[in-house]
Amino acid sequence: MAGRQAQRRGPRGRGELELEVLSCLAAADRSMTPAEVQQTIGDLAYTTVMTTLSRLHAKGALERQTAGRAYAYSLVGGERMARSNMAAHQMLKVLDEESDRAGVLARFVAELDPADEKLLAKLIGQATPSTASPRRTTRRPRTGS
Amino acid sequence: MIVVAAVPLLVGALLFCAVRPCARRLPPALAVRLLTVLALSVALCSGLVLSVLAVLVGAQLGPMPQIGNWSAEAIRRESDLPVLAGLAALLIVAGFLTSAAIQAGRSLRDLTRARRLAQTLHPVGDTLVLIEDEVPTAYAVAGAGGRVVVSTSMLRALSAPERRVLIAHERAHLRHGHHIYLHLARLAAAANPLLRPTADAVAASVERWADEEAAAEVGDRQLAAHTLAKAALVRTERCGSHEALAIAESYVVERVQALLAPPTHRRRSLASLVLLGFGASWAAAATVALWGNNVVQIAEAVYHHR
Repeated sequence: MAGRQAQRRGPRGRGELELEVLSCLAAADRSMTPAEVQQTIGDLAYTTVMTTLSRLHAKGALERQTAGRAYAYSLVGGERMARSNMAAHQMLKVLDEESDRAGVLARFVAELDPADEKLLAKLIGQATPSTASPRRTTRRPRTGS
Repeated sequence: MIVVAAVPLLVGALLFCAVRPCARRLPPALAVRLLTVLALSVALCSGLVLSVLAVLVGAQLGPMPQIGNWSAEAIRRESDLPVLAGLAALLIVAGFLTSAAIQAGRSLRDLTRARRLAQTLHPVGDTLVLIEDEVPTAYAVAGAGGRVVVSTSMLRALSAPERRVLIAHERAHLRHGHHIYLHLARLAAAANPLLRPTADAVAASVERWADEEAAAEVGDRQLAAHTLAKAALVRTERCGSHEALAIAESYVVERVQALLAPPTHRRRSLASLVLLGFGASWAAAATVALWGNNVVQIAEAVYHHR
């Protein structure tokens, strides 16, 4: 999917921008400067990224240190928070299973059976994933983990 | 009158057979709205019709004519219903009502519990909740203003544009209150088993609706299709086993295929067919209710003129 030129539609809402920036930082799992965030997301103006980051900082969602001439932003207590959410997440999962998929959770995707797995891989023109070891599917540019 | 009374059940039977292909040919947002309303209508109307039949037969039995001051003989003559049919209607209505009440209670309980749990999730920012699940996971929970729960493993597996698809999908669920449709369709299906495939079709269309919103937001249906497929493949890979499949079916293959195909356009004929089923059900229910009322009034007149 590298090099895909997507024709974007319309400006994003404030809520969506914040989610995008936050998920970008969570995926990177390190502090990032506005320039790095902009480069990763790709199709946002630098000022938009700057504004979003400082707004999130003002809300207390991000912390920042000076990195050279710019600020580097990172999630506040990201990992600790992620761990503290696990209990509620587990309970929600159980609740969802019990309630016979009656719409407590709207899951993004579920697991595939082997036939669907092959079909899907073919549909998007990808080689069938090896079922052996977990394969790194990350395709983000330059985020040495 | 038996023929008219059968109309809502007939619409239910047609839905039972044809709802999935029908839903696939409609734009998902329209399909969800139309099918939820139709399912509720069919459930209500078939319940109403069966109740009238049950009441007419019940009114002839035991001490009921004395209590209600009507003539059992007149009801029998005017309604011309076999007693067995009425008893069957009574049993079915009782069953439907019980199961609908149970489902309604369950839905309320589950929604309340989910809301309470959603309040204990700590978001970064306003809606995003991060978790450390090894299995790539993402879902939306209504409640506490809506939460989008995503595991960091899912975020890492996707590229930035793909993450945007994921976020837009979950936000669409929250924005349009998709869980309400799911619960209403589930309720209708509990009240009338003929509507179970309709509830499934609503569940599938809700996902398609969110997919299409996400695709429109990033302006690229292919990208949306790839994101879905990639997320499902990564998730399956990390899960190791395929046992969990039975629990949460989310129609991934169907959804990817739909996104790779050209968008579905509004089909006037199909949509009007659904509306026709809606109209026919309510017309039949109203006719039967008026007729039942009429029969009882005649029976009362006969009783008083004796």
